Amino acid sequence: MKFQFEVKPSLCTGCRTCELACAFSHTRDKKPGRSRIYPIAYAPDKFVPVACLQCDDAACVKSCMFGALKRNETTGAIDLDRERCVKCMACVAACPFGCALVDEGHDNEIVKCDLCGGDPACAHFCPTKALVYKKIG
Amino acid sequence: MVNITINGKVVRATEGEMLLDVIRREGINIPTLCQHDALEPAGNCRLCMVEITRTEWDGWKKYVTSCLYPVEEGLIVSTHTSELHEIRKTILDLLLANSPHSDVLQKMAEEYGLHKTSYEPNLEGDNCIMCYACTRICEVLGKSAISPVMRGHEKVIAPPFGEEPPDCIGCLACAHICPTNVITWTDENLTRTIWKKKFELIACEKCGKATISRDFAEYLIEKRGLPKEYFNTCDDCKRVELAQKMGALVDKAKEVAL
Ligand code: SF4
Ligand code: SF4
Ligand code: FES
Repeated sequence: MKFQFEVKPSLCTGCRTCELACAFSHTRDKKPGRSRIYPIAYAPDKFVPVACLQCDDAACVKSCMFGALKRNETTGAIDLDRERCVKCMACVAACPFGCALVDEGHDNEIVKCDLCGGDPACAHFCPTKALVYKKIG
Repeated sequence: MVNITINGKVVRATEGEMLLDVIRREGINIPTLCQHDALEPAGNCRLCMVEITRTEWDGWKKYVTSCLYPVEEGLIVSTHTSELHEIRKTILDLLLANSPHSDVLQKMAEEYGLHKTSYEPNLEGDNCIMCYACTRICEVLGKSAISPVMRGHEKVIAPPFGEEPPDCIGCLACAHICPTNVITWTDENLTRTIWKKKFELIACEKCGKATISRDFAEYLIEKRGLPKEYFNTCDDCKRVELAQKMGALVDKAKEVAL
């Protein structure tokens, strides 16, 4: 089964609930993680939630010389293997959408959207349904 | 698949997989210093030592570095015996003798009840434990800019001839992977210095934030066929660009609908 985010910017109020949901669902050592999703204003009072697009021919995967970024065949997400990462920041610099991030609260680890293992918290909590995780096909 | 026994529990593993990986997967914690998943195992620090035996060995046992030991059917493994405790303590004691100032080693030794080395401490020790994680990761990168060299009676990690390493691209992989944090670097404004070599950091063309070194970016562009433009802006500005692109699509769609 294939899933995809459906984003409706007209419904996004910029409330940042997705951001909170993401941070808390990536809590480790009792500290919330850095959110992997951000509602960003593209015009005054107009918002759109921005997160990793899990690209087919992903720049982050190509940029990692150490094999730390790989497609998860079950979730479809590109997952970062923390044990292989050496924090060279190549992926952070290479992603054309700026969606590989540094988590300052966790020892500057690199983080990116992992689709929460197949059930994205952000979409669950979006109060206006501007962000929905939908079955496609 | 093979069956092995770890601390009395039967565990399934893939033949040829390294014992340390199986032990970790079982949630068992043993100390290591030179192991990193991005590196081929090297068995340099010896801390990952475990005890192995087999039924047909008749009580005979041996100690192996688990990071380098491929599993095979019928292996019986112990990870936390009192002998192993003493072995690890001795290794840490020796490492600490050579690097008495290392906070990483001090902390590990504490866990074995060792507050300071029982040997003559080398007060000039530079905390390098000669695990070669740095040279190995630079090799994985494809650069091999640094290597172990002899300096007087001592082996140290250094660029060739102790000069600026010509092949270094300032990626910092070596500094980040070093388990005892020996390799230092500085980032000042748009200049990175590591191994005494200076690198220009790319400044985001929108906000000026420093990203990776230009040499590293050029290496990635060449090696991995990445478009050059990807490296012109920082992640923050690229997210805003994406939002604007998505916004433009929405506005267009509205126009069409109207
Ligand atoms: S920061 Fe980590 S995941 Fe990103 S390219 Fe470097 S090693 Fe790979
Ligand atoms: S910073 Fe230089 S020496 Fe260190 S891993 Fe990168 S290229 Fe090699
Ligand atoms: S982790 Fe096995 S010898 Fe260092």
